Amino acid sequence: MASTYFHRTRLRREERKATMHQGGLNLVPLVDILTSIVFFSLLTYAGAALAALTSFDLTLPPTVVENPADLQKLKSEKELLNLLLVVRLYDDRIEIEHSADGGYRKRVGGVEGAFLDEFEKEMTAIRARYPQNKDVLVLPADGMNYETIVHVLERLKLARYSGISLGTRSREAK
Amino acid sequence: MSRAREERQLRRSRMFAGFGVQQLNLVPLVDTFVSIVFFALTTTTVGELAPVVPGVSLPSASVGTTALSQFTIGIGANVTVANRAVMSTAEAAGSVSDDPRQPLKIPVLYRELRHIADSIRAERHLAPRDELKYPLAIQGDKSMRYDLLSRFMQTARLAGFRQLSLQVERRSPVAGP
Repeated sequence: MASTYFHRTRLRREERKATMHQGGLNLVPLVDILTSIVFFSLLTYAGAALAALTSFDLTLPPTVVENPADLQKLKSEKELLNLLLVVRLYDDRIEIEHSADGGYRKRVGGVEGAFLDEFEKEMTAIRARYPQNKDVLVLPADGMNYETIVHVLERLKLARYSGISLGTRSREAK
Repeated sequence: MSRAREERQLRRSRMFAGFGVQQLNLVPLVDTFVSIVFFALTTTTVGELAPVVPGVSLPSASVGTTALSQFTIGIGANVTVANRAVMSTAEAAGSVSDDPRQPLKIPVLYRELRHIADSIRAERHLAPRDELKYPLAIQGDKSMRYDLLSRFMQTARLAGFRQLSLQVERRSPVAGP
């Protein structure tokens, strides 16, 4: 039988394959290495949960500079506060106050859900009106729940306040 | 088989035999690179992320900067400083300040933090009155009241730690309407 072109090329391919010994990729060492990694990872696991955490950096509350020598220490005019913005937190309400335009006061009737939306909207408006001011002092009541405070801080971050400080009311020694 | 074909086969087998001698086994190299990439990724990302202090149920927030591993005060059932229990939280809440001008101070925690702050100052060759630029993170239980948190913050500031941050659990942002 006369050999066709197909048979000839097939035969040639078979010959070449046998000569080159193309046996595929050997995955056994890779599996060995991965087994070692899993083994040592389990062995060195410290037991501490590694969750993705987020951080609220706090600044120090603003202070009144009375001594001229202390005023000299300020590096630039940027460190001077030209708007004192305070957020007072209570169990049942939030009060926003600032010192501009002869004084401003706004009351939000709750600390959760839609009231936080209203609070964020108000703070965003103040931020837009006084764009040079990024600082806000938060004064929570003593009995405030920490989780509620964090929710308020979260809204302040969303309103683009970067200098957030937590203050405390003055009190007598116990 | 024709002579020309025999010669061609001979030539080809010589050529491929030459390839066989010179071929490089890249499998171990690939394995090593896999190990390097794995450990490089884990040590640069996971190694710097802040771990949650055991026994503390953190509040959650969707914004804020990524919390990296820092010197941390944990406030759960116990108060821990760098994962070492210092006192119980009930003891901390009931402790009385030894400084009439600083009613929020927690003396036991203050001594612990002051000792650490002094060590850092000594290591950095700073004078006792120099500002200590060293971050301190607080991981507090979400059920905690603010009057207790404010005592921890004030005690840390008195001990010299001015850069405080509150570390909370990251929550995915809620999609708007």
